[in-house]
Amino acid sequence: MTHKTPISRRDAIKIKAAAVAATAAGISGGASAANLVTDAEETELKWSKAPCRFCGTGCSVMVATKDERVVATHGDVLSEVNRGLNCVKGYFLSKILYGRDRLTQPLLRKTNGVYDKNGEFTPVSWDEAFDTMAEKFKKTLKEKGPTAIGMFGSGQWTVWEGYAASKLMKAGFRSNNIDPNARHCMASAVGGFMRTFGIDEPMGCYDDMEHADAFVLWGSNMAEMHPILWTRVTDRRLSAPHVKVAVLSTYEHRCFDLADIPMVFSPQTDLAILNYIANHIIQTGRVNKDFVGKHVNFRRGNDDIGYGLRPDHPREKDAKNRTKAGGSSEMTFEEFADFVKDYTLDRAHELSGVPKNRLEALAELYADPDTKVTSFWTMGFNQHTRGVWCNNLVYNIHLLTGKISEPGNSPFSLTGQPSACGTAREVGTFSHRLPADLVVAKKEHRDIAEKIWKLPEGTIPPKPGYHAVLQNRMLRDGKINAYWIQVNNNLQAAANMNEETYPGYRNPDNFIVVSDAYPTVTAQAADLILPTAMWVEKEGAYGNAERRTQLWHELVPAPGESKSDLWQLVEFSKRFKIEEVWSEELLAKKPEYRGKTLYDVLYRNGQVDAFPNSEITGGYANHEAEDFGFYIQKGLFEEYATFGRGHGHDLAPFETYHEIRGLRWPVVNGKETKWRFREGEDPYVTPGSEVEFYGHKDGRARIFALPYEPAAESPDEEYDFWLCTGRVLEHWHSGSMTQRVPELFKAFPDAVCFIHPEDAREQGLRRGDAVRIVSRRGEIQTRVETRGRNKPPKGLVFVPWFDASQLINKVTLDATDPISKQTDYKKCAVKLVKA
Amino acid sequence: MLNFIRKYWQVLARPSTSIGLGVLTLGGFVAGVIFWGGFNTALEVTNTETFCTGCHEMRDNVFAELQTTIHFTNRSGVRATCPDCHVPHEWTQKIARKMQASKEVWGHLFGTIDTREKFQDKRIDLAIHEWTRLKANDSLECRNCHSDESMDITRQSVRAADAHERFLFTGEKTCIDCHKGIAHRLPDMSQVPGWQ
Amino acid sequence: MFRFSIALCSLVAAALLIFVSDQVSADGVATLRGEAVLNGQNEAPRMMPFINNDIREARNYPEQPPVIPHKTDGYIVDLNSNKCLSCHARSRTGESQAPMVSITHFMDREGQFRASVSPRRYFCNQCHVSQREVKPLVGNDFVDVDTLLLNRAKQQ
Repeated sequence: MTHKTPISRRDAIKIKAAAVAATAAGISGGASAANLVTDAEETELKWSKAPCRFCGTGCSVMVATKDERVVATHGDVLSEVNRGLNCVKGYFLSKILYGRDRLTQPLLRKTNGVYDKNGEFTPVSWDEAFDTMAEKFKKTLKEKGPTAIGMFGSGQWTVWEGYAASKLMKAGFRSNNIDPNARHCMASAVGGFMRTFGIDEPMGCYDDMEHADAFVLWGSNMAEMHPILWTRVTDRRLSAPHVKVAVLSTYEHRCFDLADIPMVFSPQTDLAILNYIANHIIQTGRVNKDFVGKHVNFRRGNDDIGYGLRPDHPREKDAKNRTKAGGSSEMTFEEFADFVKDYTLDRAHELSGVPKNRLEALAELYADPDTKVTSFWTMGFNQHTRGVWCNNLVYNIHLLTGKISEPGNSPFSLTGQPSACGTAREVGTFSHRLPADLVVAKKEHRDIAEKIWKLPEGTIPPKPGYHAVLQNRMLRDGKINAYWIQVNNNLQAAANMNEETYPGYRNPDNFIVVSDAYPTVTAQAADLILPTAMWVEKEGAYGNAERRTQLWHELVPAPGESKSDLWQLVEFSKRFKIEEVWSEELLAKKPEYRGKTLYDVLYRNGQVDAFPNSEITGGYANHEAEDFGFYIQKGLFEEYATFGRGHGHDLAPFETYHEIRGLRWPVVNGKETKWRFREGEDPYVTPGSEVEFYGHKDGRARIFALPYEPAAESPDEEYDFWLCTGRVLEHWHSGSMTQRVPELFKAFPDAVCFIHPEDAREQGLRRGDAVRIVSRRGEIQTRVETRGRNKPPKGLVFVPWFDASQLINKVTLDATDPISKQTDYKKCAVKLVKA
Repeated sequence: MLNFIRKYWQVLARPSTSIGLGVLTLGGFVAGVIFWGGFNTALEVTNTETFCTGCHEMRDNVFAELQTTIHFTNRSGVRATCPDCHVPHEWTQKIARKMQASKEVWGHLFGTIDTREKFQDKRIDLAIHEWTRLKANDSLECRNCHSDESMDITRQSVRAADAHERFLFTGEKTCIDCHKGIAHRLPDMSQVPGWQ
Repeated sequence: MFRFSIALCSLVAAALLIFVSDQVSADGVATLRGEAVLNGQNEAPRMMPFINNDIREARNYPEQPPVIPHKTDGYIVDLNSNKCLSCHARSRTGESQAPMVSITHFMDREGQFRASVSPRRYFCNQCHVSQREVKPLVGNDFVDVDTLLLNRAKQQ
């Protein structure tokens, strides 16, 4: 035989592979007659809906269960968000529950049978775990008061978990030291919304994508981080050839594959580009004067506001408006025009390094009244020491042109986490917030919360608590001594791990509790680990980036003794007598609470426990409801919903969400709202006003005059590269779930350092070389990658943060936006040393 | 002007009276060597990557793209420089390609492709030139390194081995038919056969 | 002086931490860091090549997008061209003998089949990924439905 056909070669391989597989599975081929199960009863799968566990897109997935196990998942064809699609992570959701090292029992550090900060993790009962934990919390409360306890939560908490946690901390323990990891993620977006519009979250929705003529990505790698939204942008761009896509980033990434106007700019100069566009709109006479006259005010924001570093840092001491970062004063349109006049095309080009013709083409997308523009941004804007400014500045250009709150014209802040909007923002689990955009600093807001929660006046402390970065500093300084972390991996996430987080967690004065499904590095640095139910092992609710609230049922039981975060929070509250946490003075205002536990006061208040378990949808288990004896999720949801109903945050009745694929709030008279602030779409807009930004009392949005200011740390002679960090498509955040799915792990097993090939050559580095990435704070070792999906310009390197074995947060700088307190993970100075 | 040329020609045509035939022949030979050598040296200078990437149109577009591909770095460290693929080794073809290249120099001088956008617009024409040339010479420049005889398909992936057996060894296709865009990014391929 | 005392403090702290972290590494909780203590550093693992053997892996469930059994580095999918479709497009599969993109890929957002692959499916690598020659750090106990049914039958 001289010529083998390719078919026979292929078949030979297949037969060989099949034989190997069959042997491995212990199946002898051909032994049984039928190799297909056909019995309808056997092959029937129970399919239920659930939102995806990962990003803020909020895709709906269908989950198949059999014998109390998840056996398959796929994109939900009935979902408006994803219409049957998932990204690669979403398609592998079935496997995230089954990593072999799931935690199944509480683990406490012990030596010789007693708790010891330096002891070994030892399995204990839930009782012992909670006893030890309660003892530490009580001791701290007694010795130092409520400001010495803290909690770090998540935009991955379900709505009621965040709500229960916020209540426990702010009302129960009377401590505002609760913050979500959404502080690392969305705080600048929140700051931008509150400043410009006086109300949080996007006015538009995903439907904008099917209407836009142009998309502008401002620091958002949607192709990897919001893949399903990217499918919608791609669909629009390729289906309608007139559509343009402009992509701005500090390095080239996968979104550039679809870019008509690709722009790589020098870090931090997005501020200058944004101001240039405003200037271009004004100079070319394209301001929508009617819109601006009716709906907008102008304000001059304080400049020189510092970098959110520790107060003794020289950059902080020098900052003029460090303590008044969010301040502003009135100005006129003419003054604003004069302010942005300096941001000429030449200057924007010189600062940013983007060719002039592209800057002009970008500005024209906004300036041209006939082009409907949707702007997207995520961490490029938000993780920025001027993140709130970036948000304000992009609203400026949409407001100047009136391109807002209508299909296709949409400044759209994308969220990172599945419930950063639903839980962190709407429930208000931040150290300064309460549900439905209320804040602790305002007496009338605290009054509302205390009334709904049936608490005596003065229960909620008026001073905002420690935010995420400050919590780590306070742990290190010994100001927080009892600390509970749920649904996040902050030792891997928070910047400057060596100097702040790690010494904080291991500070001998501190007791650190971590609730997680898997042994993360945060768990490893803790003193007590609580095994936790995840995703469809509990009933849940998430709210996505377009204000869509989605619910799911418990579909499978959690392994071993794992319990949901909700169960843990509520069960823990049983261990505190009200007298142990409230002052006598406060208690005197509600004497009927004497002798009761926090559980009684917070969760058995006649509201949270108002619904019997008989209301649980048939065919679904609910372990929390079973344990507590009432439909706790519904009770928490309905009590929480009273905050927003009638105040622009209306939610539909609980049951509705179990039936449909989510609704976008405000939901008034059963109708969701697609475009807020627009008459005819948003029921809160006063008839006849066309557009009303009702978040501010005067019904107007604010345009802010804010300058370009440099980054907190820039490359110099010694540390000569910019370091930018971020995610990759295949891994969710710190990789604690996705690194345990073999297919996802094998797709991107280890972090690498993406670098320009010429930079590598100049540094004497080859592709694949081990390299140390060194900053003033710490270093990691990784491998050089000169090819692949990210192509940095000369002078910048990109390292993803999913890899627990290469903790890049040892290198990053804990500088924050002084207004939002969000860390800038995109800019610090490093040097590269061949390992 | 015409007058000047006529006069000059007369000088050249008149037999030498003072220089011997030998000297004259030798002088001519030496001048020829110098001239020819100089020409070839100059030609060789233009045949280096340094020359090719001397202008930013090449450096920032095609050369930047090349650097992330297997023709720039690979397991054995044999790499292709610009002229390896883009300049024929055989003399007449080389000269023909050089004539064509003078148009590219013209393009550089007059800024035909001096921005990325202009280059992208022109990319389809430039690519088609090269594909047509390689198709016509049976991918000669590919084969200068990748010859049929030296190709051990058992060391290739099954997919590659299949394709080479079916299409390359039978002469049904030539390298460039399948391997477009392996060293640089591609132009709009919607009208190109084999790309649907 | 102040700076010096900070330096001294951090030295002492570092020494303490090394002591503490020895405890941490021996504490019985295995993370994905392997042997490395939290404040220490592993040697970065080698970059391993992609599996390129063209042997298709069984899917975990029929709805799962297949992983790519060959390398795709250098494959360009952008506004101009789609390298994947040059083999996997319906019209190309006769020549390439590659599997055709699934029929679902022709459906648009409205569920209608179109003449060609829907642009929403244009970027193949959002769902399909190549696999590197690496061993997973931890096993995964997902059980596919066939095995589940087989176990059921065995139990009966």
